[in-house]
Amino acid sequence: MQRVQSRFRPAGGAGTSPAFSAAIAFSWREAEQSVAMAGELESSKPLSGLLNGLAQSTFHRHSGITEELLRTQLYPDVPPEEFRPFLAKMRGILKVKKQNYNERLWDFTGDIHSIAYADMDFNQLEAFLTAQTKKQGGITADQAVVISKFWKNHKTKIKESLINQSRWENSLKAMNWRVDLKSQSKHFEQINVPVAIVELELGKNGQESECLCLEFDEIKLSQILKKLTEVEESINTLTNPA
Amino acid sequence: MSKGSSNHAKLEVTNKLLDLQWKMGMAVSSDNCRSLKSPYVALMLKVADQSGQITNKSFEMTIPQFQHFFKQLKEMAAVIETV
Repeated sequence: MQRVQSRFRPAGGAGTSPAFSAAIAFSWREAEQSVAMAGELESSKPLSGLLNGLAQSTFHRHSGITEELLRTQLYPDVPPEEFRPFLAKMRGILKVKKQNYNERLWDFTGDIHSIAYADMDFNQLEAFLTAQTKKQGGITADQAVVISKFWKNHKTKIKESLINQSRWENSLKAMNWRVDLKSQSKHFEQINVPVAIVELELGKNGQESECLCLEFDEIKLSQILKKLTEVEESINTLTNPA
Repeated sequence: MSKGSSNHAKLEVTNKLLDLQWKMGMAVSSDNCRSLKSPYVALMLKVADQSGQITNKSFEMTIPQFQHFFKQLKEMAAVIETV
C-alpha cells in the first residue's frame, strides 16, 4: 500500500473533531491500521454524508445543498479554501456536474472515468477505486470503502435520476379514468352507450403539465388495445431476443 | 353512473382519439451518463377537439410506466364490457 498524501490539513491542532483527525490520520501508513479499526465508523460518517449530499444536489436535483452547508455540517474544522479541492476531488470521482453551468468540476486528465458517468459495475468500481488509492493526491483506502458502499446503495436511484434528466419530451405524469354511460337518443329511443373518459397528465421536466382528456367507446378502446399489444410484443422481443 | 379510478366526476371537455402511433426507442448515452441503456415507449396520439380541430400529442414512457398504462386500459375494457 503506497503512502497517499492527503491534501486535507486541519486548521489548527486544538478543537479538531475526532472524526476529522481520524480522517487525516489514516492517510499515513503507520497509523492506518489502528486508526482504521478504531475510527472506522466515525471517520466514514462525514464522507458518507458528503457523498449523499453531492448525490442529492446533482443527481436528484435537490437545491439548497451548498458547498458551505456540506462543509459546516460535515467538516466544520476545515477552512473553505481547503474544503473546496477535497469536494472537487469527490465530485470528480462521482462525476457530478456543478449546478452552475460555468463551473465544470469534472476531470478530463489521464484515464479517469468516473463512476456515475461510466455506470460502473462492481468489478469496474473496485478496480477504479484501487487505482485512485494508488495515485498521488488520490483517495485513501478507507475513503475507497465508503465510496464503494455508497455506490452500491445508491447506484439504482442515481441511474434513474440520470435517465430522467435526459428525458426531454413529454412524459406521462398521471392517469385517471372512469367509464360513463352516455345517454344518446336516436329516433326517440334512449340508448345508453358506455364510454371511457381518460385524463392524461402530460408534462416535461420543470414545466407545467397539460391535461389531455380523451373519450372513447368500446370499439375504439379495443383498437387501442390491439396496438398496445404490438408494443408489448416488441418489448418482449427486446428483452428476450429469439 | 360512473366506475373507475377517478375520485371526482367532472364535466370535462373531451377530445376524440383519431389515431394512435407508437415507437420503441432506446436512450443509449447522454452527456451525464455514457451508458444509459434505457428503453422507452413513445406514443403519438392524433386527437380532435370539440370543434373538429386536429392536433398531435406525444409522450414517452419507461417500460414499467407503459406496462402500468396498458394494464389500466385493459381494466377499462373489462369495465366497459360489463356496463
